[in-house]
Amino acid sequence: MTRTRPVLAAAAAAVLLLAGGCSGDSSPPPTPARPSASAPPAGPGAAADTSCNPRASLRPSGSLPAPGRMPAGSYMATIQQRGRLVLGTSQDTLLFSSRNPFTGEIEGFDVDMGRQIAEAIFGDPDRIQIKVIGYDKRVSSAVDGSVDLVADTMTANCARWKDVTFSSIYYEAGQKVLVSTDSTVRSIEDLGGKRVCSAAGSTSYDNIGKVRSKPIPVALPAFGDCLVAFQQNEVDAISTDDTILAGMAAQDPYAKVVGPRFTEEPYAMAMSPAHPEFTRFVNAVLERNRANGTWKATYERWLGDFGPAPQPPKAQYK
Amino acid sequence: MSTALAPPPATIGGPPVPRRPGPLRRVGALRHTSPGRLQLLLAVLLTLGVFTGLTAGLTGRSAAAGTGDLGRRAQPLLAEAETIYSALADADTTAAQAFLAGGLEPPPLTRRYEDDLARATAALTSAARRTPEGSTSADVVQGLAAGVARYAGLVATARATNRQGLPVGASYLSAASTLNRQTLLPQAQSLFRIAQREVGDGYRDAASAAWIALLALLTVALLAALVAGQIHLSRATKRTFNLPLLAATALTLLFAAGAGGVLAGQNVHLDRAGEQGSAPAAALAEARILALRERGDEALTLAARGGGGAYETDFQQTSRDLRAALDRSFPAPSAADSHRLYVEQHGQVRRLDDGGDYDAAVARAIGPQTTRPFEAMTAALDAALAERKAVFTDEIGAAGRGLGALTVLGPLAALVVCGLAVAGIRARLEEYR
Repeated sequence: MTRTRPVLAAAAAAVLLLAGGCSGDSSPPPTPARPSASAPPAGPGAAADTSCNPRASLRPSGSLPAPGRMPAGSYMATIQQRGRLVLGTSQDTLLFSSRNPFTGEIEGFDVDMGRQIAEAIFGDPDRIQIKVIGYDKRVSSAVDGSVDLVADTMTANCARWKDVTFSSIYYEAGQKVLVSTDSTVRSIEDLGGKRVCSAAGSTSYDNIGKVRSKPIPVALPAFGDCLVAFQQNEVDAISTDDTILAGMAAQDPYAKVVGPRFTEEPYAMAMSPAHPEFTRFVNAVLERNRANGTWKATYERWLGDFGPAPQPPKAQYK
Repeated sequence: MSTALAPPPATIGGPPVPRRPGPLRRVGALRHTSPGRLQLLLAVLLTLGVFTGLTAGLTGRSAAAGTGDLGRRAQPLLAEAETIYSALADADTTAAQAFLAGGLEPPPLTRRYEDDLARATAALTSAARRTPEGSTSADVVQGLAAGVARYAGLVATARATNRQGLPVGASYLSAASTLNRQTLLPQAQSLFRIAQREVGDGYRDAASAAWIALLALLTVALLAALVAGQIHLSRATKRTFNLPLLAATALTLLFAAGAGGVLAGQNVHLDRAGEQGSAPAAALAEARILALRERGDEALTLAARGGGGAYETDFQQTSRDLRAALDRSFPAPSAADSHRLYVEQHGQVRRLDDGGDYDAAVARAIGPQTTRPFEAMTAALDAALAERKAVFTDEIGAAGRGLGALTVLGPLAALVVCGLAVAGIRARLEEYR
């Protein structure tokens, strides 16, 4: 978090960061007035919504209840009664939430975050139902209760805080660029006039439109589709959070991730604001897992190839 | 015949030929002499005979060509369009089911996919032969051929990446499915519609109504001329019968009866081919298209893991359409029952999936409980379709029968009639020399 300000300053200097702190996705609130995405000034969250500290969530209250003994009347008890936690995520973001082609299971860092919540409620991480939701459905799915929890490389930002409640931050990402290995491109600025892909409904997409050298933003339904388009030479580059790009580069030996992070993307889980006790519970689980090494183990399991686990993001509370 | 109507030319008083007569006037003058009248009669008979013969040949040819086009081109094109559609829809469903199964594709599904693709490609090749160059249908076939190649490439890449355990394989599959559903299937459907229209036109062309009317008119005129000629001759020559002309009349009557029989038979068989062949076959083909769409929607709903609400909505709509189609006195009665069973099973699949038991939902969707009624339904539709196609082929074959003979024997009969007319009248003309 202390990193935020220097990066913000750098980004501001580059006139890149109009969406301030919001990126990776720009799924609109439930009744959005989506501006045409290529019109930069109209982008959602334009001119950095700094009306809040998006990293600050609700403080956990007291100690965690024992698994299977959720306090009566709480939303956790509702979930316990139902017998499963419904997690909203995607199935094509390798390392975070993707379908394992061998087993057909959806797995990754984000899915493990959800499984840890299920374990805290039931004592069994398998009591989880995974719903694949579109990038542009992440806010609305959390709000309308079709999922209990969204963990889908979702950036906590002030625009979204108006509709959903975020947990404390569980991962720090930032937007970069993926190009082919023989490319001389060193940052997004070098891609002027080139076709750069991102998922529809992501702020990564909006950010591409704000780059000074004017790359051509291309929106596809999911990041997996972007990789297909990249491999079919339909786009020249993909730009989104470095974590998502790392998952793509791992699938394509002819792709590399370049450039500095030109945005800050703090990932958090999104929930309906109707159940603050659930958010406090989730934060308590995160707090415990940061302390007991579970977070580190999860990082090493999925992201260990990129080096040793950093310190987990420190929780901030309101 | 028009002797009484023509005003007598003022300058000509009798048999002597005027000094500088125009050809028309010369012909007009013929009616004032007995041999002239005979010459006129002969001319009329020969003209009518030649035209009747010509028209008989052309009618036979047009009807034969129309019937042949219907049987060899339009209807097969319709069948091919349906094959292309169903093969592509089935390939999409099979690919989605193989994806659902996880891990490596089960070999039966791979075989089925390969088989689907082979069927689609074969049907495209023969459809290309049946579409005239530059026509809309030829453009559609070309677009489909290019699209199918692209589709096959995407699926092949999806498989290769799947083998390496890369999740992008799923994205390739979804790109392939999108191409299939949003581009190829609509193209196949428009080819189907074009072929349907061509079959309708084909029936009209095969019936050759205008040619038949002309032929009937000419035949009646020829008969009338023959009869009138004989009456004239028997009055003028005191001989009751002129044998060659009598024979010509008999032959013309025979010809009229024969041609009438052949053409009426053709029309009856054409009607039957339409009512018992083409029409039910088209309904069956459409029902099969709907059935495949249902199955595809089911698999894609599951593959989208909760993100497939649109597919399920489409399933419900398609299911309603199919139910409505099957309930009408449908040519495949057992299909409706199988469909009911299948939809029940689909309900189970949705209940399991919505209840959070994804694995059980997938197992049920690709398992025998659901597969069996679905395949019973498509098998019933296939069998009925094959039956209807056979009826069509038989009826079209029957409709074409005799048309070749009409094309050849019609002009020949007319030639003989002409010959007889010449023979019958020349004998009388000789008497004036």
